[in-house]
Amino acid sequence: MLPIIDVKELVVSFGETDVVKSVSFDIMPGETLGIVGESGSGKSVTSLSLMRLLDNSGSIRSGIISYRNKKNEQLIINRLSENQMRALRGADMAMIFQEPMTSLNPVLRCGQQVMEAIRVHNKISRKEARERTLALFEKVRLPRARQIIDAWPHQLSGGQKQRVMIAMAISCNPRLLIADEPTTALDVTVQKEILELLLGLQEEYGMSMIFITHDLGVTTDIAHRVLVMHQGEVVESGKTNDLFSHPSHPYTKGLIACRPPVNNRLRRLPVVSDFLSGNCNILEQEENTISKHQREEHHKQLYAGDPLMRVEGLSKIYEQSGGWRKHKITAVDQVSFEVYAGETLGLVGESGCGKTTLGRCLLRLIEPSQGRIWFDGQEITAMNPSTLRTIRKSMQIVFQDPYSSLNPRMSIGDAISEPMRVHGLYRNRSACKKRMEDLLTQVGLPISSAGRLPHEFSGGQRQRIVIARALAVNPRFLICDESVSALDVSVQAQILNLLNDLKKENGLTYIFISHDLSVVKYMSDRMLVMNRGRIEESGDPDQIFAFPTSPYTSKLIDAIPGKANSYK
Amino acid sequence: MIRYFLHRVGYGILVLAGIAIILGLLFFTYLNNNNQAIYEMTGQNTSAAEIERIRDEYHMNKPVLIQLALYLNDLSPLAYHSHSPNSNLYFKPDSYHGFRIIPIGNQEGFFLKAPYLRRSYQTQALVGSTLLQCLPGTLILALSAMILASILGIFFGIVSTWTYGRWPDKFLLFISTLGMSLPSFFIAIVFSWLFGYVWHAHTGLNPWGNLFVIDDYTGQSNIVLKNLILPSVTLGIRPLAVIMQLTRNNLYDVMSSDYIRTARSKGLGTISVILKHALRNALNPVITAISGWLGSLLAGAVFVEYIFGWRGLGREMVNGLQKLDYPVVMGSILTIATMFVLINLLVDLLYGVMDPRIRR
Repeated sequence: MLPIIDVKELVVSFGETDVVKSVSFDIMPGETLGIVGESGSGKSVTSLSLMRLLDNSGSIRSGIISYRNKKNEQLIINRLSENQMRALRGADMAMIFQEPMTSLNPVLRCGQQVMEAIRVHNKISRKEARERTLALFEKVRLPRARQIIDAWPHQLSGGQKQRVMIAMAISCNPRLLIADEPTTALDVTVQKEILELLLGLQEEYGMSMIFITHDLGVTTDIAHRVLVMHQGEVVESGKTNDLFSHPSHPYTKGLIACRPPVNNRLRRLPVVSDFLSGNCNILEQEENTISKHQREEHHKQLYAGDPLMRVEGLSKIYEQSGGWRKHKITAVDQVSFEVYAGETLGLVGESGCGKTTLGRCLLRLIEPSQGRIWFDGQEITAMNPSTLRTIRKSMQIVFQDPYSSLNPRMSIGDAISEPMRVHGLYRNRSACKKRMEDLLTQVGLPISSAGRLPHEFSGGQRQRIVIARALAVNPRFLICDESVSALDVSVQAQILNLLNDLKKENGLTYIFISHDLSVVKYMSDRMLVMNRGRIEESGDPDQIFAFPTSPYTSKLIDAIPGKANSYK
Repeated sequence: MIRYFLHRVGYGILVLAGIAIILGLLFFTYLNNNNQAIYEMTGQNTSAAEIERIRDEYHMNKPVLIQLALYLNDLSPLAYHSHSPNSNLYFKPDSYHGFRIIPIGNQEGFFLKAPYLRRSYQTQALVGSTLLQCLPGTLILALSAMILASILGIFFGIVSTWTYGRWPDKFLLFISTLGMSLPSFFIAIVFSWLFGYVWHAHTGLNPWGNLFVIDDYTGQSNIVLKNLILPSVTLGIRPLAVIMQLTRNNLYDVMSSDYIRTARSKGLGTISVILKHALRNALNPVITAISGWLGSLLAGAVFVEYIFGWRGLGREMVNGLQKLDYPVVMGSILTIATMFVLINLLVDLLYGVMDPRIRR
């Protein structure tokens, strides 16, 4: 059998820099190739160059991409004219993108966009195209296909939009489907459905598929073969099972190891740099795992004391004016729980379950509609604004997006010192500066970075800065709201380790909010599972994972990618 | 959608009321303390008794707030009036157009009427009907200038995006920057002189002229469309340049969005990607700009109207100001404000048409 796509020594550059450096691979008909790598590894650029969809600034410098079309003719993609290329796009090769929210044109109806794709390549009437679109919508299992065909994209959920995208991609029976992180922006349960749909369609249409992802778990579920990319190069490739059971390259090893394991508990997560520098031995020793006994002892101590925070019957109801009547949306519904000093309380749930609203209500960044909150014996919900400001000194929050939570025009040093100045913690400048430098060292950044601006730092470094800023006022209580969700797995491991170190050094208490079950399980002493504003289940994460009592929790656990063949 | 529209209409009426109140406070305060306007009416040698009589006739001797209340009552379509000639609220049959709908007592009651903008100090003509005569001239001029600017501006914007960074784009950018930086009074004079005088034999255009020209022999008024060309081109140049650059910049931004990549991945060509997918998403800021320009053209075509001898609101307002003919000035300002509110209303509806996410 001949490969459908054969890439030889592909080099793609943006300006002077090579983003993809001599990459070679091939794909057989009906095969799924997984491309795994972190942001900036060149995996998306590689796939975009297969369809010649790079921006104007990027270009294929050298190499050959050959493609075998439906008539079994060999075409050299990078030598085709733009017109020839257009005939291939959509008809022979189709693509699904990462962000379903932005990948559909907001001003055109969903049906129109799929019909357009059909009519570009087939000379058929509008009516016929509409019929075909309806059939496709049913094939991708969109509910109420007849309504969705005339719906606007903003009226659909993320998963539904991605289904519309898939319908569009398969509308002309392509031979190759490129899926660029198609499930990254979706909830785990939706991700599972989409993956199953893609697998089914691939079998039915006999398509080849390139599946790009940063999530190793997803790859094991879907790909026959895997390509691991790092800084524009392929560091390792092979059959999925072989590669994950016997990784040979240190980077692959690191990437596999740095994901929080579901089966055992580690003191520290290994990070990729440990493997690349070759001193990963320490981490594999027995000392790094926390035994069941140790954990129980620790918990006995933790839960002996009084709770640091107590929440009783907390609700948040939003009123939305639409039409003639006001809609009421209950984001948080009668939630009660305690947080003990020194513990990490995990809060997990899908998007829209109310976990972020709950986190913000605790600091009264959002005013709760009902319920009472006590912190350290004082009732937060009854405080006037000035006492609230003083208590906020001991309660801080770290948000999800490290890119937008720093003022781009303020130097790092100023950003960290600002809360100290606002709360008047230090009388003189030099003490303030000293503290700022201590904080930088604590979060693992050089003191020399104080004068630099946020854009000079990577995502992980920025999250360190944000954490330092939160710690500046010596809080006792820290809410981490999806603080690692925007980061690559290897960076995520570093930040999780940092959070645990800081907790130990400063005696902090965390509420750790995330949609990622395995991360929450790794971090927390106790865990709350939220669904539709209510707490579905709470308890020790190990216990919950082993014996989930609510069907919702077991559905969530079941949807963790790569769980079926969990890699070691 | 209807609810949204009614909301907007309500806001519009509030805005107009606010403007009327501010206008009234400013002008009546001035008139109360100053006889300049009366001298403009009757000359410098008016006797004190005569001045007092005029002040009384025009209510200038009353407190400012009373004057304001009377003015607002005159403006409001539903207002309190009296049939008695002795009343301050006398419903003069030759000035007001309307009728009593809710009688209170014998003479008084609530009247439904056309807004009354009072009479000119200078000519005693009804301000409302004077403005109504000028309004079509200004409207036609502003609209034709804006239509020209919008169509050409968007077209050149598309061309510019299509050839982004290459010579047609660079050339268009250069020309549009030039167009933006030329003041309209200067362009007006140059165009009038060049096309209307120097090259008159080739263009056949007049250096000045109104849309309606009265035939000297028959007394009939004829529409002379070619007189519209020079003033509307002159007025349109700056908005054209702005619209072109705005379209270009927005279109270029939109072209890097994810859904454009989706459209390209379907196999669409550049032109259809721009026209079918990008343009509608890029036009909202352009529409805002167009509406803003249209509003200011209605108000600020003064120079161009003046130089080309075009009869319109701007010219009327400047004349009113020179003669301290306050009813005319206030009436013009209110008319312009009303046009602004109407345009904004239209634009709000247009946003809804262009972008389904705004619709409710």
